[in-house]
Amino acid sequence: MLKRELKINLKSFIIWLGISIFLFLIVFLIYPSIIDSEQIGQINEFIKMFPEEVLKAFNMDISTLDSAYGWLKSEGFVFILLISGCYASILGSNILLKEENDKTIEYLIMLPMTRKKIVIQKVLVGVFYITMFVLGIGIFNWIGLSLSGNFDEIQYFYLSITPLLSSLVIFFICLFLSTFTHKTRKMIGISLGIVLLSYVLQMFSTLAEPTEFLKYFSVFTLADIRNVITNHTINLWMVGITILLSVFFFVMTLIRYQKKDLI
Amino acid sequence: MKNKILDLKNLTKYYGKILGVKDLTLSLYEGEVFGFIGPNGAGKSTTIRMIMNLISKTKGEVLFQGEPLTQEMVEFKQQIGYLPSELYLYEDMTVKEILDYHASFYQKDCTKRRVDLVQRFQLDESKKIEELSFGTLKKVGIILAFMHEPKLLILDEPTSGLDPLMQQVFYKLILEEKKKGTTIFYSTHILSEISKVCDRVGLVKGGTLLRIETIEEMRKKSVLFVTIESDEIEKIKNALNITTIYQHGNEMKFKNQLSMDSFIRVLAQYHISKLLIEEGTLEDMLLEEYQ
Repeated sequence: MLKRELKINLKSFIIWLGISIFLFLIVFLIYPSIIDSEQIGQINEFIKMFPEEVLKAFNMDISTLDSAYGWLKSEGFVFILLISGCYASILGSNILLKEENDKTIEYLIMLPMTRKKIVIQKVLVGVFYITMFVLGIGIFNWIGLSLSGNFDEIQYFYLSITPLLSSLVIFFICLFLSTFTHKTRKMIGISLGIVLLSYVLQMFSTLAEPTEFLKYFSVFTLADIRNVITNHTINLWMVGITILLSVFFFVMTLIRYQKKDLI
Repeated sequence: MKNKILDLKNLTKYYGKILGVKDLTLSLYEGEVFGFIGPNGAGKSTTIRMIMNLISKTKGEVLFQGEPLTQEMVEFKQQIGYLPSELYLYEDMTVKEILDYHASFYQKDCTKRRVDLVQRFQLDESKKIEELSFGTLKKVGIILAFMHEPKLLILDEPTSGLDPLMQQVFYKLILEEKKKGTTIFYSTHILSEISKVCDRVGLVKGGTLLRIETIEEMRKKSVLFVTIESDEIEKIKNALNITTIYQHGNEMKFKNQLSMDSFIRVLAQYHISKLLIEEGTLEDMLLEEYQ
């Protein structure tokens, strides 16, 4: 079953990774001309005109746009967080629910295996592909940065794995929510909504002190990019919370799926 | 006394406030083909889905060889074959791939049995699942249910979609399985196939099991409809003392309640242009039952 799950999810993995890499490839191709142009100074001056809160939201207060690595630390990783979050949410919504949506669940259930085993095998495949997705983008960007000039490799290593924290939690939340419905279309809408809402909450939390509490409701808080940029390390609390949340939603999924009417 | 293979005890299912099945209790014995019949929406598929743990039970339990048949009892699933009424398989696979995939879950070697079944049902293993017609998909489903030589077969409308030739192949297969001692739970609404393969029959309607009878007991109760065309139609009507279902000119249709012998003796006295005797459908019989 594991082999089959890997095979059927490979196509969407390649598409998602391919599109993401293509977008970063464009950045790496056009960035040298932007850096070399006389306007880069003006762009930096223009950016400084923004309120501090807005700059903070995009990490522009601790990074500049005058290098590919600078762009990656500010806007690039926001994009990676969003795209890996979207991929994880769709995978989490689909991986169990697709069997019900396509009505193949009746066949799967007749096979001599428990529902628990079905969930575990699908989760293993989901976690594998999310990890590969984050690593894939990380490796591509590492190659791109290496060709573009100097960058802090240790800092980049930590930065490139932070999307894994938010994506895994998004995957497990969506997996759990998918046990409440039978149709993937409905679930995918909800999952993408969670990702976007989470991102908006994260943005608002940086804008002003009264809205700072919103960060506790955003999954993207777990991918603490600011901490990596300023302290050159990953916040172990966030790793711990990620593991706790993932295990919690995984166990809840197992419990819910055991009781679910699959038809 | 034969061994009990499947025991359903007070099976009840409510979908919210809507009743699916209520207090259904029955037992299946080793080597028996048990027909489970009822009109559409009677609760046949709901019962089967509860047995297969696809849906939860509101109340009751399912025992397989005396042990509760729960989701965790994987070793029991090794001994059960299931054919759903509408089978959905992975469309990206070929027939060969799905048969290989299926066989990989079972502890025993299914190769010999698989080859035999593929030949009997004249299946082309190179075809993709998405290319298969409903009937061919049904054949694949039959092979999937039978290939690991299960002790208990649960079949939901197994012949729907099969052409008459393949239906005969299937009935032969059922009778062979029965001889081997396989227990078969056979859900259908086609009365004629029940009489071909079943030993006992459970009648279900509105989610309730009305009664269980042997096939002989059922046959005695089966309804015969007669259509006669004759110039002497009124005389025949009076002689048989019947109420017609319809009468148009020289033709009438009625339900025969005489013994076949008496019936033929009466008809022999008249000139008959056309005589059609039809066995009642399940619906006819059930309507009788409810009246």
